[in-house]
Amino acid sequence: MTPTSTFGVNTMLSSKHFFLLPALLTLVAIILFPLLFTIRVSFSSWDVFQSGLDYIGGKNYGRVLADERFWQSLGRLSLLSLISVSLQYTLGFALALAVWKQVRGGRFLRVLFLIPMMTTPVVMSVIWRTVFHESLGPANDILGMFGIGAVPWLSSATGAFISVLIVEVWQWTPFMFLLLLAGLVSLPREPYLAAAIDGAGTWRTFWQVTFPLMAPITIGALIIRLIEASKIMDTVYVLTSGGPGTATETSSYYIYIRGLRDFQIGYSAALSLVYLVIMIVSLTVIAKLLLRLLVGKVG
Amino acid sequence: MKYRFTTSASVLAIIASSAVPVSAQDYTRFGIEQDLPGTCSYAATDAKDYSGRTLNIITHAIPVIGEPTALHAEQFAELTGAEVNVVHVPFGDLFQRIMIPFQSEQNAYDVMFYPSLWIGDFSRFLAPVPEAYVNSTGMMDVTPSFTGVATWNGEMIQYPMDGDRHYLKFRTDVFDNAEVQAQYLADTGNELTVPATWEEYNQVAAYFNASDWDGDGELNYGSAEVAKRDDLMFSAFISRAAPYAKHPDVQGGFFFDLETMEPLINTPGFVRGLELFIEAQASFPPGGTNFGLGDEIFSFGGGQTLMSYSWDDAYIQANQEDSRIRNMVAAAPLPGASEVWNRTTGAWDTFETPNRAPYMTWGWSSAVSSMSEEQEMGFDFLCFFSNEANAEHDMQIGRFGVNPYRNSHFDIDYWKGQGWADKTAQTYVTTLSEMEESQNRVFDLRVPGVSQFMSSMANGVAEAMAGQKTAQDALDDVAQEWAEIADRIGKDRLRDAYANVVTLEDNEG
Amino acid sequence: MNKFYHILKTLFLFGWSLFVVFPFLWALTTSFKDANAITSGATYIPWVDYEPSTQGWTSLFTTGSQGINIVGPFIDSAAVTLIASLVSLALGTLAAYGLSRFEYRLGFVKNADITFFFISQRIMPPIVLAIPFFLMLKELGALDTIFGLVLVYVALLLPIAVWVMTDFFAGIPKELDEMAMTDGCSPIGAFFRVILPNSVPGLVVAGMFCLIFGWNDFFFAFTLTFTETQLLPVSIVSLNSSVTPWWSLSAFALISVAPLACVAVIVERYMSRGTMSGAIR
Repeated sequence: MTPTSTFGVNTMLSSKHFFLLPALLTLVAIILFPLLFTIRVSFSSWDVFQSGLDYIGGKNYGRVLADERFWQSLGRLSLLSLISVSLQYTLGFALALAVWKQVRGGRFLRVLFLIPMMTTPVVMSVIWRTVFHESLGPANDILGMFGIGAVPWLSSATGAFISVLIVEVWQWTPFMFLLLLAGLVSLPREPYLAAAIDGAGTWRTFWQVTFPLMAPITIGALIIRLIEASKIMDTVYVLTSGGPGTATETSSYYIYIRGLRDFQIGYSAALSLVYLVIMIVSLTVIAKLLLRLLVGKVG
Repeated sequence: MKYRFTTSASVLAIIASSAVPVSAQDYTRFGIEQDLPGTCSYAATDAKDYSGRTLNIITHAIPVIGEPTALHAEQFAELTGAEVNVVHVPFGDLFQRIMIPFQSEQNAYDVMFYPSLWIGDFSRFLAPVPEAYVNSTGMMDVTPSFTGVATWNGEMIQYPMDGDRHYLKFRTDVFDNAEVQAQYLADTGNELTVPATWEEYNQVAAYFNASDWDGDGELNYGSAEVAKRDDLMFSAFISRAAPYAKHPDVQGGFFFDLETMEPLINTPGFVRGLELFIEAQASFPPGGTNFGLGDEIFSFGGGQTLMSYSWDDAYIQANQEDSRIRNMVAAAPLPGASEVWNRTTGAWDTFETPNRAPYMTWGWSSAVSSMSEEQEMGFDFLCFFSNEANAEHDMQIGRFGVNPYRNSHFDIDYWKGQGWADKTAQTYVTTLSEMEESQNRVFDLRVPGVSQFMSSMANGVAEAMAGQKTAQDALDDVAQEWAEIADRIGKDRLRDAYANVVTLEDNEG
Repeated sequence: MNKFYHILKTLFLFGWSLFVVFPFLWALTTSFKDANAITSGATYIPWVDYEPSTQGWTSLFTTGSQGINIVGPFIDSAAVTLIASLVSLALGTLAAYGLSRFEYRLGFVKNADITFFFISQRIMPPIVLAIPFFLMLKELGALDTIFGLVLVYVALLLPIAVWVMTDFFAGIPKELDEMAMTDGCSPIGAFFRVILPNSVPGLVVAGMFCLIFGWNDFFFAFTLTFTETQLLPVSIVSLNSSVTPWWSLSAFALISVAPLACVAVIVERYMSRGTMSGAIR
């Protein structure tokens, strides 16, 4: 693994540290305090009327375990993320396949499809809110032209959920699109020639050649996108404020309410750490599962 | 957003010295009709020199209060030579943006504009208003309600520059229309009068819902209310529940029993109010259950709905020069209740004349931070912001969010001078001044942790509105949460703070 | 059969393009409206459905109480994003190369764990870290400064750079390094003289992601600044009051997309040249 060389061990060692240490040390330096602080404050009762680090033991954690609203928000988050990321993946893949080979206006389409990812979520969500406005927005207006009645985009639980989904899919499909297209473009030719000789049709070629070859990228893209999706905040904040009721209240939004609206700093720190642990565990499990599922196929 | 306004004081001095005596100077270039005499008039402020000094202000997003802050900051900078920085923050984040620097002892802002109900949380960080300003001409004219709202433990720590309340607004082109009245009588057997109870309000709203009664080809609806949980829905709920829960003969607390600090939020009066709120949803425009204040202003002020009740904004918006329903609106006190819950006897009391409980809603207030190193300049700015000329100017512009709070503002001639019709102006002034005189008023829960209480209440109300729980269940859960919050804050500390509110409500303040 | 797929593909591309473009078109027409044009229902075509006004656009460039000036925030955002991205890219690329070429061991912690450590930084929602970062910057006297924001953003963007470049380097054959070193380069020299020039596609992608996530961050900029430093997303939110000026917001949305849209064009050029091969393994 280490490059062979005519250099001594010492040079190797110092080179190796030269590469990794700056980044590692920088990162640790910047996040060490915040992380330790969060842990410490989760054992205190810092609140709006009482600032400072007293010690109340694990009381906050007890509250977290009993906090139904928190666990519900996790459930909602899982549902939202899984659906949203699956849609993004499927659509992104389809789009990548569609513009992969020569296609009319390919260049323009590729740039166009990237744009949503470049926008600021906070800003675009405001635009979407005006689009989904039930009395004054174009969504219901256009549907009305087709004879469909006013859809409660933001005032019903399902409607709000779907609205958030739509915005997320619009915003982040380009991410999948980019990664998958890059992957497609770098695939080797040989398997395709072999498949063509075999007389495989489009569908079979895809499932037996393209998809397996793209497995590593698929896993990477899905994991990264899941990590990002689970933090969803700006969209919910602007579009639905977690509503109606708690229909679109995701974990990060709930932590935000407890932490910066209610100003229960101690409690929200405990919530955050529990959330962090749960996320790390689930993502690791998902990653391993995907590896087994997809790479197993290529085998 | 940051603005920098610096002018060379020497330039000003040269201009001033070569000009006419100060009192005759023309300040109309600042947008006002004329400079009115007062402690902090334009002339008086012009005489001050703050060149080389900086004032940092945090305020609400543009335009509500944000725009007048920026405007007056600009003017103040020009008049005094100070450098004034203004930061605008959306409502939902204003609290944390002010609180975090407070709690970490970071001197971030000298002057703050914020909802007056946060006084409980901020009280220990604010600088008391000095005597000179308490005795200023502007302050002496502020009504007792609003000086009361600015006071904490006997000291004035907030600077009044806005007056707020909830009241009913309705379309006169419908209510005063003889044909419509006849039709209504024929259809329902009742006279079409301004709703005196919330039951009547719901009935009228339902009758006029989803029909095009203004003849513009678009459907109109019955009621526009602020129903969005994370917006200001908690105030809308208080408006609706107050007359059923605030008994004129029962003292010692509205949200809590002052002695025991037991939550009263799930008592029958509040439950009845919630049930009526839930029922009213049927008369909302599409998306009405998700209306924030802005949506309500656009909806009523833009002519879509028949009635609404909340702050003044929608009313002023409706009467703007370019509004298509200008002078077709009138004001009235909030609907009342013919049955009021009496918690001492544990029974409903019937009232021949419906019980009214005017809600002196929180409004915008301002204050100077006790950590500030420019307190005098801060108070000078606030005094200037609210000087007689500026107050009159700001009140005319709906989106500014500045509404009447001085006795001189309740002057019908002033509003007629704005081009308002007789009835529009008359009902406005009468409604507002009657609220000042009422002895059965309700104030907000101005205690530390108010946002937690209100957010819990709003959450419960939202769940009931969405049909996830019954009204009683939802409020029972809220009461439970309130008890927990009260425990965390400490009952005694809470009681001390709540006593301030009860003093106002029991008319001892 | 092929014809069928072809039609399907065209419809799909057309439909998706419409979906992508729709909010922008809506923003465009809304940016020319005023209060009256909004309150009577959805309107689409200027002069036909409503009277256009330039209020939305002019308010973005006026200082004072009449508007929000976005020139200052634009510059601040650009400065913070560029600096933080460059630093993250530099450090991240080095780290990624190290992780793909050398074996590290700190007790039981191995390469894969270190990579995981980097990437897991992205899991924490910003809200969680807002107050600790606030306190930390306060102690450093870096609140409300560009330096403070850069510090925080580097922590956010470094993981991205590491992730992208690790994948990328894994795709570059080690023979390249070896050849360079047999030619007499030190490992560090090999990296700078041979590997790096061949890594441009990866750097482009990593850089792009850093720019995107840095430019579009809202939360940290919001919590950690007061009056001196204002970033673009924060300045737009200052318009998010109870009476929302849809027109200014729409104009703003369109302007704020422009810089990154240019980045999109550059990135696409790399994609079509097929040199992205190995940008992601």
